[in-house]
Amino acid sequence: MSAWRDFWLRYRRKTSAMIGLVLLLFVMLVAIIGPWLVSADPWDIVVRPFLWPGEDPEFPLGSDVLGRDILSGIVHGSRVSLLIGLAATATALGVGVTVGAVAGYFRGWPDDILMRITELFQTIPTFLLAVVLVAIFKPSMLSIILVISAVSWPAVARLVRAEFLSLREREFVQSCVVIGMSETRIIFQQILPNCLAPIIVMSSILVASAILTESGLSFLGLGDPNLMSWGTMIGIGREAMRTAWYMSALPGIAIIITVLALNLVGEGLNDALNPRLKNR
Amino acid sequence: MLPAIPRLTRATAFCLAIFLCAWIGGHASAAEPTSGGTLSMILNPEPAVLAAGVNTSSPVYTVSPKIFEGLVTYDAKFKMLPQLATAWNVSADGRTMTFKLRPNVKWHDGKPFTSADVQYTFMEILKKVHSRGPATFLHLNAVQTPDPLTAVFRLAEPSPYVMRALAGAESPIMPKHIYEGTDPLKNPANLAPIGTGPFKFKEWQRGSHITLVRNPDYWDKPKPYLDTLIFRIIPDGAARAVALESGAVQYGTQYIVPLNDVQRLRSLPNLAVTTAGYEYNTSVNYMEFNLRRPYLQDRRVRQAIAHAINTDFLVKNVWFGFAEKATSPVTNKQADFHTNKVPQYPYDLKKAESLLDQAGLKRGADGTRFKVTIDWAPSGEMFRQTAEVLKQSLGRIGIPAEIRSSDNPTYLRRVWTDNDFDINIYSASNIADPVIGLQRFYWSKTIQKGVSYSNGSGYNNPAMDKLLESAQVENNPAKRKAMYADVQKLVMTDLPNMGLVYIQWFTIHDKKVKNLNTTGLGPYESFSSVYIEK
Repeated sequence: MSAWRDFWLRYRRKTSAMIGLVLLLFVMLVAIIGPWLVSADPWDIVVRPFLWPGEDPEFPLGSDVLGRDILSGIVHGSRVSLLIGLAATATALGVGVTVGAVAGYFRGWPDDILMRITELFQTIPTFLLAVVLVAIFKPSMLSIILVISAVSWPAVARLVRAEFLSLREREFVQSCVVIGMSETRIIFQQILPNCLAPIIVMSSILVASAILTESGLSFLGLGDPNLMSWGTMIGIGREAMRTAWYMSALPGIAIIITVLALNLVGEGLNDALNPRLKNR
Repeated sequence: MLPAIPRLTRATAFCLAIFLCAWIGGHASAAEPTSGGTLSMILNPEPAVLAAGVNTSSPVYTVSPKIFEGLVTYDAKFKMLPQLATAWNVSADGRTMTFKLRPNVKWHDGKPFTSADVQYTFMEILKKVHSRGPATFLHLNAVQTPDPLTAVFRLAEPSPYVMRALAGAESPIMPKHIYEGTDPLKNPANLAPIGTGPFKFKEWQRGSHITLVRNPDYWDKPKPYLDTLIFRIIPDGAARAVALESGAVQYGTQYIVPLNDVQRLRSLPNLAVTTAGYEYNTSVNYMEFNLRRPYLQDRRVRQAIAHAINTDFLVKNVWFGFAEKATSPVTNKQADFHTNKVPQYPYDLKKAESLLDQAGLKRGADGTRFKVTIDWAPSGEMFRQTAEVLKQSLGRIGIPAEIRSSDNPTYLRRVWTDNDFDINIYSASNIADPVIGLQRFYWSKTIQKGVSYSNGSGYNNPAMDKLLESAQVENNPAKRKAMYADVQKLVMTDLPNMGLVYIQWFTIHDKKVKNLNTTGLGPYESFSSVYIEK
């Protein structure tokens, strides 16, 4: 327990990290209970189009080009955006950690092959690759999650491989080898727990970039047309940018808050989990 | 390092020159067309080729008539006006059409234009590779050329609509000496065309612009007035609005800017918005059903869906008034054919639900009846928004709908090649005559895989075929009108597709650009009369 308390004390020390955490908890709260507080379907046409925020107390954030409630869209969108962010990150971690662990632990030809594949992905700009992949597959929630994880796993693989390369030479690993522990157990029970800190830090950044990528795709019209995400809302509002800027600005603010929160939390975690910075 | 000063001097000289021109221009009479100047116009999307004889998509339809001319052109009331033909005559039985051609017309490469070119164009290009030509010129057996300036059309059956398909955009006369012996679809001249028109092709920078220059040997001197015509390819709607606002381009046509932005642009002092010039291209926004789908085979289901779409809402909030509620599949701009004495489907969700119940498609335990997909033509936001509005209504009557967005090639393949769709939202032009613009959607012989904008619903009704085929060869205008009224009645009863709104396209242009709509073809005219006021 003291390790957790220790960690919490170190995390708490940084104001920006606490601000990030509060913002993130707020966004998550909205995503979890929000949809019960606003209209059930964000696609419902409920009021006249182009209603400005504040014009009608019943729709405090106004309506979009077809008269859909923007508040409802942002609340429902938070769920979509967070879900896509978390799912894509989980998938990317699964692939990235496996690839990185195998490459870093075994070295030799498995490392060569896996790293060449990783490099292949890394040489193509991630967003462009995502655009191409979504254009090939039919845009849906699942395909978008898969595409985002497909473009974000190489960074995880690189990180995990580097950690493994250094950790596998340590004495505790060598002693495990000596007592005849299986390779799977060494990888997953001994080395992996020791490189969790950088992975956790990276995950928070990955969730943020996954949300941005999804928004970017939806903005370009490549998102799932049946899903109300923040990017979809910006894409819808974009055509009315000159006459009704609030349609794209409001979901844009939601994205900024979430991504900022995730980055601040990530930075806080980095400081708290990295012992060398303990007494900075 | 010499640039700095010389560039400045050059810039000053340039400015001086412009002021000088402006000053001289200002002293010329305002009513008389003035020669010179460059007109930049928006083009979107980038065309595949520049010859409308082999490709009829809308950007080609815009560029091609500046280079290629037709036998005639039409005024806003479809009256024929001379272009390459100076006189014409139709025999009493409607089976012979004689055209007197304009003398001393030269192709851009200097070769003379003769009746052999007319013969070659109609028999080898328009009848064979044009998207609508094979239907329009179905009964055209031969084009005879008794002398270099006479062309005689021999028709197996009276085909009055041929006289409405002779504009430069629809039936461009193409040079026999360039195309003879080649595959017209693959001829390199499609990319660097040689025509008889007021402007010559100069260059095409892919992804950027197409430049045409004045044809100094044009037959209609002193026209053309403009020195240069530049088509700027601008794929983004917001960027197009900025280009017009800043004066970087002076002219844009069809879907130029988001419709909610038009009002703002209209209020700018230098710009004008006009709906004139679209008498020939009369677009209708349709909702099409795939009759190969089991649920949609039931006419009552299609009628129920027709009752579920609120077209008044579409006109107001999707089209911002640049459309009228459709009452039949033929636009009301074609007064010769349009009728509204046909079954109507007012927005009525209760009626829709009862029709679905009658069809045996009761709501299931989860409140739904069956699922559909909606595809939309990716050529404007309006079609996506229409799909979104339709989806919401369908959800209310127990039909959950999934909207599918795709890029243009995927969309075209899905609907007209793979026939893998349920409901399709698209627009198509009625052109000048139902044979050219309408028959393709309902004739069983136009169920052609791979031909875009043909009978995609798979509608096959012998009664409809008979009506269409007899209307095609009917020479008496009153009888034809009655026949097409029956066609419209049958379409609105069977509903293979349904007109949602009659689109009113518009042009946004700089107020200094004059003579834009001297005929009914507007943006699809040759632009020989267009000039820029100094």
